[in-house]
Amino acid sequence: MMVKTTTNIEEEIKAIFSDNTPWVTIVWDDPVNLMTYVTYVLMELFGYSREKAHELMMKVHTEGKAVVSTGSREEMEHDVARLHEYGLWATLQRGDQAL
Amino acid sequence: MSAEKGFHRHGSNSYIAEFAESEREVLLNLIEQLIELLSERVDHGHEDPLAAMVGIASHDSPPEDEVLRRLLPNAYADEVDASEFRRYTESTLRGKKQAHAMSMRMYLKSADDGIVDLDHDNANAWLGALNDIRLALGVRINVQENTSEVLELLSPDDPLRGVYAVYTWLGWLQESLLSALMDE
Repeated sequence: MMVKTTTNIEEEIKAIFSDNTPWVTIVWDDPVNLMTYVTYVLMELFGYSREKAHELMMKVHTEGKAVVSTGSREEMEHDVARLHEYGLWATLQRGDQAL
Repeated sequence: MSAEKGFHRHGSNSYIAEFAESEREVLLNLIEQLIELLSERVDHGHEDPLAAMVGIASHDSPPEDEVLRRLLPNAYADEVDASEFRRYTESTLRGKKQAHAMSMRMYLKSADDGIVDLDHDNANAWLGALNDIRLALGVRINVQENTSEVLELLSPDDPLRGVYAVYTWLGWLQESLLSALMDE
């Protein structure tokens, strides 16, 4: 019993200190980037199928922005850096913030 | 610009284009300008040489130049987060973009017969560099969604027409490389 209780407390403390809120990478619409190019970059960088990449690109194009990936803050910083390398206009933010 | 065929796929990992001498010159000229632009704002008077060595910059504000600001954009809407991120990543990003541009320059310089033959990785580098050039020109000529209509109204001797022609041609070239890459 004693051990179990200690474990529970440890988990509670861990939950308090670790922030599991997911972060998101957002791609913004840009008048220069070709639609085919945006689709291709999403396929190459994230391994998305052509259908999924096309769908996300269309969302960027019609709605002005789209969430293209979700994960930890570090992962999203990595994704944004790769998108910037290929000239896409991308930012990251906490997933619970308004887009 | 002459109406060339653009890029075509040959086999599983070969993307070939043949450029007229004038086209090769235009591309080389643009790529040199891009490389030069990307090497601006390098930290000369860095206070901490070790930080500079590992790519941490002493500056963290976005570039003042509008083109560089588009090529090296903020990663966060929040300015403090954006500055912090920029301090640790901008020089890496700059280096990667320069590597794309230098790959493109290397191929163009060695293409005496005008023929460029890229593998998949180098095709990606070309796409990135072509896109950076288009982004740079796009900022300079202020491309908006309806820019093609606006430019149709320019007088025939407006110098922006020439830039716009190059911009359009680069888009067409990039599109041809994309269809070669996505052609399964």
